[in-house]
Amino acid sequence: MGKGLKAKKWTAVFPPVYPFTRLPISPLPYLLVAPTVAVLVALSVYPLIYSVRVSLQTGTGARAVWTLSNFTRLASDRFFQDALAHTLVYAAVALTFEFLLGLSLALLLNERMRGRGLFRAALLVPMMLPPVVVGVVWRLMLNPNFGAINGTLKSFGFDTETLTWTASPTLALASVIAVDIWQWTPFVFLVLLAGLQAIPQEPYEAALIDGSSAWQTFLHVTLPLLRPAILIALLLRTMDLLRVFDQIFILTEGGPGFATETISLYIYRAAFRFSDFGYAAAMSFVLLLLTNIISLFYIRLLNRQENA
Amino acid sequence: MRRQRATGRWATVDRSLFARLIKYALLAVALLAALAPVYWMLTISLKTEVEQFAVPPRWFSFAPVLTHYRDAFVARSFGQYLLTSAFVAVVSTVCAMLPGTLAAYALARFRLPRKLDTRLALWILSTRMFPPIVTAVPLFLLMRDVRLLNTRAALVIVYTAFNLPFVVWMMRGFFQEIPRDLEEAALVDGDSRLGALRRVILPLVAPGLAATAVFCLIISWNEFLFALVLTQTDAAMTLPVGIAGRVTQYEIKWGVMSAAGVVAMLPILVFALAVQRYLVRGLSLGAVKG
Repeated sequence: MGKGLKAKKWTAVFPPVYPFTRLPISPLPYLLVAPTVAVLVALSVYPLIYSVRVSLQTGTGARAVWTLSNFTRLASDRFFQDALAHTLVYAAVALTFEFLLGLSLALLLNERMRGRGLFRAALLVPMMLPPVVVGVVWRLMLNPNFGAINGTLKSFGFDTETLTWTASPTLALASVIAVDIWQWTPFVFLVLLAGLQAIPQEPYEAALIDGSSAWQTFLHVTLPLLRPAILIALLLRTMDLLRVFDQIFILTEGGPGFATETISLYIYRAAFRFSDFGYAAAMSFVLLLLTNIISLFYIRLLNRQENA
Repeated sequence: MRRQRATGRWATVDRSLFARLIKYALLAVALLAALAPVYWMLTISLKTEVEQFAVPPRWFSFAPVLTHYRDAFVARSFGQYLLTSAFVAVVSTVCAMLPGTLAAYALARFRLPRKLDTRLALWILSTRMFPPIVTAVPLFLLMRDVRLLNTRAALVIVYTAFNLPFVVWMMRGFFQEIPRDLEEAALVDGDSRLGALRRVILPLVAPGLAATAVFCLIISWNEFLFALVLTQTDAAMTLPVGIAGRVTQYEIKWGVMSAAGVVAMLPILVFALAVQRYLVRGLSLGAVKG
């Protein structure tokens, strides 16, 4: 927030004219918005429409046939169902851990203490890293032979023979989820810390006077007041988790076998390994639908909060 | 009675000291968990191949060498990828900032009929909410049709569109924080609206403009999926795609890859430090004003 300038809520309705000239309707706002709208229509809306067409056609050019086959195929495709399941498990587990860890860290750091700024800055490192670098970092950490994790375990006398992490069919999904938690817990932490610091002091004083325990205060004061920040953190994380691609691509490319293949990775494989663009487009609409339904659910919760 | 109270006080001091110790211990663990993996990559980039494979792992005692950096950026094409990344990030940031800021100003200051201003703002935000793979497939086909695959132009175009909604939402928030009286005063003094924007408002939102631009640079620099899909040649590839190509090859040059990773990470750390104050805001698309 600006130093001297406090945010002000604008409730007054600004007239759709130049305030001090008497032009009936100013074209200015439309002119200012036009370039942005044009770019987005050309590069977001048009590709989407184009993608609908790709998903509904087989064959190309004059031999193109309109068909729903790309969508009906989804129902019987084991790879797709597995990818969907991996995506949902990935999102649910990572979200749970990121939320719990992020909230704990935020609560720990919510009071003034020595070194807080430094600690906060250091925690930013994982989430600011390019996703590809995150992939590299964890390939180095998790490598079964010389990775830092197995190396350290070995030097303490553990048997690491079966701990092959991203190369193991059973551990691979857990490994990529752990990497996501490592990278994105700081984000949840930061948003919740900002939320905590925006809570005024008075409710806490009231709770203190009422003699409520620390746990009661947390449950009945902190959590309800933190709700908007929690919902925003969860919303943004969920949308990101459902679309996850980069780190998994670097860490496992969806393998071993297809054990870590999420929907985004399967779409990529269909489009750019098998040139099956129609099917890839059809799957991308399922992903879009899934993302939209879940984000609408969060936005509902947020709005209910504001109206309450 | 008095004695009892005294021990009571000592008990609370003890407990708070204990709590503080636990707290610092937990924070130390979190700090270690966050930074150790990154530090490990740094050490691998500086170790000879023999030391890279040492068991137990050498965290501190190794003889640093710079050969991997020379290998990556002189002998291989990582220098070129680096330039491409920088070029694409800077140009797409400029291309998104100009129209985005103007649109943000309009959406922050004008009330359009039928709530068009709010609806437009939400629509702009919604284009940012698509999973990138959804537009990556059609954009690949469209870029292929216009023969822009494997060009920097393709990436500049796509990143501009990707950053635009972000710029609009960030800058809209910053504009809304400037009291309206300021520019009304300028308007009364006979300034045109754009004159007032340039002379009065823009200087006030300069920190916001800078932060937004830095975020655009970070987003473009880090972006992977579109770059992977749209560029496959050495001449057009960005640094993340170059690194990914090395990682997934059969034989991996760990030192070279780590060196490239360290170099890809450095500008981001500097940028992140620069916008630390706005970080929460940027990462939540302006939703949390931290």
